[in-house]
Amino acid sequence: MNTMEGVVLKLPYSFRIIKPNPKRTNRAFRTVPLASASVTVASPDPILGPGSLGHLTRPDFPILHQEVNGKKLVYLDNAATSQKPTAVLLALQKYYEAWNSNVHRGIHYLSAKATDEYELARHKVANFINASSGEIVFTRNATEAINLVAYSWGLSNLKAGDEVILSIAEHHSAIVPWQFVAQKTGANLKFVSLTDNEVPDVGKLREMLSKKTKLVVVHHVSNVLASVLPVNQIVSWAHDIGAKVLVDACQSVPHMVVDVKNLDADFLVASSHKMCGPTGIGFLYGKSELLSAMPPFLGGGEMIADVFLDHSTFAEPPSRFEAGTPAIGEAIGFGAAIDYLSGIGMQKIHDYEVDLANYLYDSLQSVPNVRVYGPAPSQAVVRAALCSFNVEDVHPTDLATFLDQQHSIAIRSGHHCAQPLHRYLGINASARASLHFYNTKEDVDDFIVGLKDTISFFTSFK
Amino acid sequence: MLRHASKMILGQGLRFPSTRAVTVGAGTPRMYHERVVDHYSNPRNVGSFDKNDPNVGTGLVGAPACGDVMKLQIRVDEENGKIVDACFKTVGWGSAIASSSVATEWVKGKQMEEVLSIKNTEIAKHLSLPPVKLHCSMLAEDAIKAAVKDYESKRAKSNASEEAASVEKAADA
Repeated sequence: MNTMEGVVLKLPYSFRIIKPNPKRTNRAFRTVPLASASVTVASPDPILGPGSLGHLTRPDFPILHQEVNGKKLVYLDNAATSQKPTAVLLALQKYYEAWNSNVHRGIHYLSAKATDEYELARHKVANFINASSGEIVFTRNATEAINLVAYSWGLSNLKAGDEVILSIAEHHSAIVPWQFVAQKTGANLKFVSLTDNEVPDVGKLREMLSKKTKLVVVHHVSNVLASVLPVNQIVSWAHDIGAKVLVDACQSVPHMVVDVKNLDADFLVASSHKMCGPTGIGFLYGKSELLSAMPPFLGGGEMIADVFLDHSTFAEPPSRFEAGTPAIGEAIGFGAAIDYLSGIGMQKIHDYEVDLANYLYDSLQSVPNVRVYGPAPSQAVVRAALCSFNVEDVHPTDLATFLDQQHSIAIRSGHHCAQPLHRYLGINASARASLHFYNTKEDVDDFIVGLKDTISFFTSFK
Repeated sequence: MLRHASKMILGQGLRFPSTRAVTVGAGTPRMYHERVVDHYSNPRNVGSFDKNDPNVGTGLVGAPACGDVMKLQIRVDEENGKIVDACFKTVGWGSAIASSSVATEWVKGKQMEEVLSIKNTEIAKHLSLPPVKLHCSMLAEDAIKAAVKDYESKRAKSNASEEAASVEKAADA
């Protein structure tokens, strides 16, 4: 696979890495004169014009400055994984060059330094979501974090007849582990479907809550519909009847301010690789009284207190749930990503992405025969900066293939780990373009041009 | 779902240009391989046989990962076990349609045992499918095998019932 240096290995496409202009010095804000022209589709915001957050941050992401098939790469698959700024790459390199050592175990200097940096990263994650360090368990990713809750909390708290409520728009990682738990315990899974606006029916969810409900599992932001759920409301209803709430925040933490105290979520999960951090690390936030009462998930070193031949005693959380040598370098890289995001400010990122989201949605809707899933954006409805869509009579995989091969535009096609949602919508698969704060208005424009070309290629067969 | 699916199935009364020189984008290399484009715009053997026909074997395979579904049917001459006709219907994208179209071309006129040795890698090579699309040709290989298996199990069932009938006759006699 591609390495970060300029060495081109045996790759299917001809990569040519273009270094960003080294002469580029100051990136001072230029005040952009307000455009007076009225535009039919969506008026180009001063926020999206030159000097936008996207333009300012792009130089920080080396991977974006390359050509694929002779054309500049336009990366619109951020909901699948985000790109990493130089700061994160440097942090990873620095760790392995200077302090690599096993954490929590050694006495020597390197080990102490690595431990400090690793725990500092935990502290950064906690701060980022307004939690305390002891409430952050590092996992491999959000999927593992959900499995942790399922196997540890679920198996010891759910029994036959109990109910777990989920939406049909959940990611497979938020559904499958609960199926395992339901099979083992005899608990029942109940699913909330969508309203006519294609958002999970929160009213129905409220009606479904009963004293049998022990857990509600919901996403904060949908990776297909781009809808945002009123999590604090759902949590308050659930708590009224004594149920806990697990929030899948994979698509929210990277894109907006998420405050677990404000949400009052019992559990919350996210992955580093979707928020400019490395793969291989994610976290579970759990309220300390919940974590303290939970039995271990994986067994091994670090999570124990004393080990005898016939039994062992276990450490306090979060260590209790972190068996084995953790992904130390990755956690530190994750911390660096959080520093980078905090340096920009999540509110600023969110504001920019809302504008970009609306621009993407409006541009896509203006292409004939395109059907975008999820709610329409409005004053009341904020969409995430992603659009899952289909084009009449063209298979989404053909769209993605052609866009990639002819226009070097990276989108995703398939079910996006949401088969039940696709089945409900009556489709096999969809295409999805998803943005992050380093995407620009020009990326969206290039995508629309490429999409129109793609559609005309395929409809020329008819 | 069916409505959308049926729109994806090519060859339903569409007009095809006789020759296709596909030119896309001045100067950019054309990567949608011409054989795939050919089968996509001019698929061979699209259609359906009656699946209850005793001489028809039906293979229905799906690839949930990309949402493709392939139905491949063979009509077998029961005297000599030769596949005399084949047809397909595929819900999917270009490479999937091309793979199943090629599969129907290759099985025609061959013995059933012969077609079991058709490998997905051969189909993929014929279409110049890059590694990321190999699963489409794998689906085609699976569809062929499923069609043969279906035909053989139908034969086994009808032979068994024939035998049972003749045993009964012998018992009555």
